[in-house]
Amino acid sequence: MKFIDPHIHVTSRTTDDYEAMQAAGIVAIIEPAFWLGQPRTKVGSFQDYFNSLVGFERFRASQFGIKHYCTIGLNSKEANNERLAEQVMELLPLYVGKEGVVAVGEIGYDDQTPAEDKYYRMQLELAKEVDMPVMIHTPHRDKKRGTTRSMDVCIEHGLKPEMVVVDHNNEETVQEVLDRGFWAAFTIYPHTKMGSERMVDIVKQYGPERIIVDSAADWGVSDPLAVPKTAKLMLDKGIPEEHVHQVCYQNALAAYSQSGQMKESDWEDVAIDQREKYSGNSVLRGGQTPKVKGSSDIVEN
Amino acid sequence: MQATTYQTDLKQAKDFLYAIIRESATAEGLKWLDQQTHKLEQEWNYRTFYFSFSSVPRFLGKATITYSKATLSQARELRSGFSPEGWDLTQLVRTYILLYLPHNNEAEYAQTIDRMCETADMYEQQAIYAALPLLPHPKALTGRTAEGIRTNMTNVFDAIALQNPYPADYLDQEAWNQLLLKAVFMGRPLYKIDRADERANPELARMLVDFAHERWAAHRQISPEIWRFVAPYLGEQYLSELEKSIKDGQPLEVEAALLACAQNTYSGGRTLLEQHPDFRQRIQKGDINWNSIGERYNA
Ligand SMILES: [Zn+2]
Repeated sequence: MKFIDPHIHVTSRTTDDYEAMQAAGIVAIIEPAFWLGQPRTKVGSFQDYFNSLVGFERFRASQFGIKHYCTIGLNSKEANNERLAEQVMELLPLYVGKEGVVAVGEIGYDDQTPAEDKYYRMQLELAKEVDMPVMIHTPHRDKKRGTTRSMDVCIEHGLKPEMVVVDHNNEETVQEVLDRGFWAAFTIYPHTKMGSERMVDIVKQYGPERIIVDSAADWGVSDPLAVPKTAKLMLDKGIPEEHVHQVCYQNALAAYSQSGQMKESDWEDVAIDQREKYSGNSVLRGGQTPKVKGSSDIVEN
Repeated sequence: MQATTYQTDLKQAKDFLYAIIRESATAEGLKWLDQQTHKLEQEWNYRTFYFSFSSVPRFLGKATITYSKATLSQARELRSGFSPEGWDLTQLVRTYILLYLPHNNEAEYAQTIDRMCETADMYEQQAIYAALPLLPHPKALTGRTAEGIRTNMTNVFDAIALQNPYPADYLDQEAWNQLLLKAVFMGRPLYKIDRADERANPELARMLVDFAHERWAAHRQISPEIWRFVAPYLGEQYLSELEKSIKDGQPLEVEAALLACAQNTYSGGRTLLEQHPDFRQRIQKGDINWNSIGERYNA
């Protein structure tokens, strides 16, 4: 089976992860711009981070046969540093239109402060102006209220629900998100978010329409194989294969291809050629032999 | 206030690009482009400009474009040495949009180009650097160009170095020599560097010969094309290198070293040429020249 992981922070993952993801059937991923575990202090750090999302990380993924997309945005945590946030807002128009950028995101609320609200709204306006989907990060604390509020503000700014993916849902939020016509994404992340078993129950209860599964794997204890593993569990528990395909591949494609920057042909018949270089950098280090894979043959030297 | 320096008539350049775009773009893509440029003309705003420039592939795609002889000669009339050959639709449209950037303030103009390059992806950089020969305030962009030469992305380097008349026209000798040396180092085709002969200089010849020594010490081949830039400065100091190339070099290197001898009155070189009458004849007939050496070497 083929999978898309539409929310994963691969910048903080290793090449072993990439190899395992490719072997498990992940063909495409979306890396949302987020915070890096500690706050940035200069706008230049954002610029270089965005550059890596549209540059080197995309190249690195391609070296393992995975098509990399990203979303660009100012995350809610760092929206609270208003002086910096203003400068980041000026940077966004340079990035949201770039090739392979499939949404404005991940944006939304963390502590639900006035500053978070201000920059969330400004970015919704930007998404509307450039006709791009939005990826919403819902808060971990006061989640139910924060999720409702995230959607209310979208509607208030005139965004169409079908252009908005609400991520990090749980059993408490899913009904309202689906009822209001938004995409409902679920993050399979150990301890803090969803577990695979619970995910199976949700798909059993709500069906596959507009439900999306992702890993949000990052620099924390997380699992870059969460999507294929959850898919396997779903199949084992008797969920029909086409439903699994829908929540682990097709729905993400449908939601984010509305950007006009993501289509199936992007990863069908891609060739891996580790002899390629990006800015003089290779993913290989001295003595390593490049892998070269055509559409049908794998050279394992 | 200082008058703006132009390398071409911007209105004519826009018309030229637009005519090619119109033939290749879909009706929808063209409509989007017209809307964007209309907005920029009505009320300038950097947000729209940056977004338009980066979003071109999303709305117009990357179709390959075939340029007729007539189009290419029109390009040269527009700006001597200018050629869009090899540009796809996205690059063409990005160049077109770039020409809408206001240029009444030189410092602000150069600053914007800098900002765009710093935030550009690979293909955007390629478009900006290849557009250099059309841009106003060319003298204010030399520092940015020198920075661009430091790239290791081949497509970005080529956009500056190959089939681009801007470097020969505006780079100072130091940046120019870096460009040539880097082209040799990256194995780029030197014969595609516009008007490179005119900018040959003794310092460059010395650097190229030093580089040849490094290659030889590592038991590697040298590019025969480097002799083109050493030719005007042949003399006692390069005689042993000439002899080495002729004696041990690959066939193309022999041709190149002898061609260099033929292009200089230096007696040591003339003597070497006399020892290879068959080559001398082919050089006289024009069968051996820098373009043919470059083409065959880079084939
Ligand atoms: Zn995330």
